[in-house]
Amino acid sequence: MARYILRRLAFSIITLFLLVTVVFLITNVFPSDPGRQIAGPFASQEQVDVLNEQLGTNDPLLNQYGRLLRSSVTFDYGDSFQVGQPVSELLWPALGRSAKLVLYGLVLTVPAAIAAGMFAARRRNTFIDRGIVTLGVASSSIPEFVSGVALQYFIGVKLGWFEVLALAPRGSNLITELKHLTLPALSLLVVYFGYIARMTRAGTIQALDADYTRTATMKGLSTRHVMRRHVARNALQPTVSVVGTQIGYLFSGLIGLELIFNYPGVGRLIYNASTSKDFPLLSAGVILVGIIYMICTLAADLIIAWMNPRARLQVTS
Amino acid sequence: MDWKRFDGVRHNVGPVHLDLVESYAQGRISRRQFVRRGAVIGLSVPMISAVIAACGDDDASSPTGGAGTPGTGSAPGTTPGTASGSTTAPGTGPATTLVGGTPGGIITVGAQIPGALDPIAMQDLGAYGLIAQCFEFLATLGDDGRIAPGLAESWEPNEDGSVWTFQLRQGVKWQDGSDFSSADVAATMDRLVAAANAGLAGVIEEGAVDATDPNVAVFNLAAPNGNFPALVSVFNAQTPITPAAFESGMTLDGAPNGTGPWKLDRFDAATGCTFVRNDAWWGGQVPLDGTEFQFFDDLGTMLTAMQGGSVDALIQFSVIGGDALLSSPDFKVLDIQTATHRQVWMRTDEGQFADKRVRQALALTFDRDQMLETLFRGRGNIGNDHPIAPFFPYFDESVPQRTKNIDMAKQLLTDAGIDGLSAALQIPNLQEIPELAQLIVAGAAEAGINLQIAQESTQTFYGSQWCPGEPADPPCSGAAELGIVDYGDRPTPDIYLNAALKTNGIWNSSQYSNPDLDAAFSEFQSSVDVEGQKAACKTMETILNDEVPVGLPFFYNFLSGHSTEIQGVRITGLGQMFLDKASRV
Repeated sequence: MARYILRRLAFSIITLFLLVTVVFLITNVFPSDPGRQIAGPFASQEQVDVLNEQLGTNDPLLNQYGRLLRSSVTFDYGDSFQVGQPVSELLWPALGRSAKLVLYGLVLTVPAAIAAGMFAARRRNTFIDRGIVTLGVASSSIPEFVSGVALQYFIGVKLGWFEVLALAPRGSNLITELKHLTLPALSLLVVYFGYIARMTRAGTIQALDADYTRTATMKGLSTRHVMRRHVARNALQPTVSVVGTQIGYLFSGLIGLELIFNYPGVGRLIYNASTSKDFPLLSAGVILVGIIYMICTLAADLIIAWMNPRARLQVTS
Repeated sequence: MDWKRFDGVRHNVGPVHLDLVESYAQGRISRRQFVRRGAVIGLSVPMISAVIAACGDDDASSPTGGAGTPGTGSAPGTTPGTASGSTTAPGTGPATTLVGGTPGGIITVGAQIPGALDPIAMQDLGAYGLIAQCFEFLATLGDDGRIAPGLAESWEPNEDGSVWTFQLRQGVKWQDGSDFSSADVAATMDRLVAAANAGLAGVIEEGAVDATDPNVAVFNLAAPNGNFPALVSVFNAQTPITPAAFESGMTLDGAPNGTGPWKLDRFDAATGCTFVRNDAWWGGQVPLDGTEFQFFDDLGTMLTAMQGGSVDALIQFSVIGGDALLSSPDFKVLDIQTATHRQVWMRTDEGQFADKRVRQALALTFDRDQMLETLFRGRGNIGNDHPIAPFFPYFDESVPQRTKNIDMAKQLLTDAGIDGLSAALQIPNLQEIPELAQLIVAGAAEAGINLQIAQESTQTFYGSQWCPGEPADPPCSGAAELGIVDYGDRPTPDIYLNAALKTNGIWNSSQYSNPDLDAAFSEFQSSVDVEGQKAACKTMETILNDEVPVGLPFFYNFLSGHSTEIQGVRITGLGQMFLDKASRV
């Protein structure tokens, strides 16, 4: 197992190196003038030139690439072009906020979706099964920013049950924070419930039809025991894998929700950095999300290995 | 006419003030123009009231009467510059005057994400709004929307308007406890000169302020200027007074040390900032405990936040998308008449628009009423292809209004020998400008002019299309031949004329050069009487309307507002929201 983890970590470092290179290439493809961007349209060309010199954007590309590699090791990306603050001061709080939203969204979504998927599988081809599948397909096809606007208007503005903005005032307690985060988290539930439920249903049906389940049942084990020890462990492996990769995506992919609910998370930060060509912030943000993505995928693989003895054996061999 | 009272006033004012008083007494200017102009040149409120009373006005106790109704959220076409919810003039008494409100608490304001908070270099409404919480101006915003005493208690010009003397308010302290003095004013002005402030360029030079007396700032201008106080007022957003030790590049969040009613408590570029009451403020104790500015980068979200009760006030919103607020009984609209406008610049020195008949033809395809109605639900004023807004006291209404006339446009194109004019219309992706461009394209097509919209991000547009840095001489000589650019509100048209239309102006994208216009502009600036300014404006309006270096279809109102659960909110057309008198109802 330790060898497996080490191997995965080695691959992760290579992937990160490639990611940094791609980020550098992409950010240098954009035509940009950071000095002009900071000094504004009314500054003289001399002022702009001085700023570009200070920022090092006039340096040879190789030097700039070397700086980005160094920054990626130390995670010190300097100051944001747009705001003038150190990148880390902007990125870490945004990461914390995104983590809260993703975590809350998953807490609402994953247990409900798994329960619904397993329930539907056990009642295969019944009205309940078809209802859950249809509902799942329908809800998955609604983009989160559409369901976000609808929830915000009807539940937030019209009914007034939850706050329409996701960010709670500074110093708020957990209950207040959750009240603010509920609508965007429900938007996540709308999108991911169907997807995860269908995935779980399919895995459960496959596990229910498997020989080991039939054997366990014929041995006289209780249904509960069979479901927990034999079906769930096997049925949930694809679900765990999907959730693991989706977490990485969610950290940066919730731009629509973050804009609608005015939530300053990582997605919005990267989006703004990209539109304003704030390359230090953009590079740091993309690389950070890449790291999170890799950690989540690794974690999902380890969980699957833990759940499935055969997977463990494959890993160690 | 109460001659005795009138004579008393005449003996107590200087020559510049006297000219204005005489103009009003003889009916050459309206009461509204008299009040507005009087505020600019430093005529005190009691003096204005006395003149109006002497001239037989029944409502002399309120010089603003009839020019907008404070406290009701002025309707379009009334009070220019602001809307207000209270009645005590700033600078004339403590700000704790609280009518029907509840002291304490905080108010949350929805605002756009600000750029860098450097008072001298800031360029956006988000930054203007925050800076105005902490730093103050020599002349600030009065409840009637006009200039009122701020850090200066009064001001007056010499005989020809080349020297302006500002009596500074005494007992004012910076938030670090040090005293405010004329040295701070002098240092601020030097920094503004070094930064080539668009409003003060050519008006003052380095060392213009004589700060010998710490309580008096004497401005020695490069040339006489009858509008000078407006140029160092809240309406020239980059001119708040900062401490003498302040340096260009220092920002509010880095060096929070103003004289204003609020002290910066916390600033987070991603989320917002909070202010707490400055108990040492010269204006007394403000009713609220503090304020919070929450940043938004999406207007739709800000509107939803207002509807959902997450914010109490909005710095700005637009008619498009803001219908729900405009019709909501729980929302008080602050509708402010401003000189904010869009200029359709056309290169006059080369290319397809060098012939003025072509420029006139394009301007004749504008359906100005339709533009104003479609884009702003009629909240604004029709423009006549010059930047002198109809509510300026010196606006000359005798220049005929240009209206849509496709036949004449076609005839002009034929006379110019143009067949099949085709051009790219360069625009920034900003507010309603894309929609405006579509209306212009549709109108132009009726006259056979084929325009293609070329839209660009605001971050690149100004440097690549409107006024590229290279070639640097003359400025903007690398501009595209046709485009739309935005101009914010200003208290006088000086900046628009000086920067965009004067020969070699720093924002002269149309590369327009006309010695007659330059001369008329100099005459306008040096005139300290309304008559002289009006005469100069007539010349400029005529020239610009005829030569059309820029098409200017409308001036539109600034929309702001707040929940009916709060009161006492005032705001300028530049997004500076004043909350020193605000409270919860």
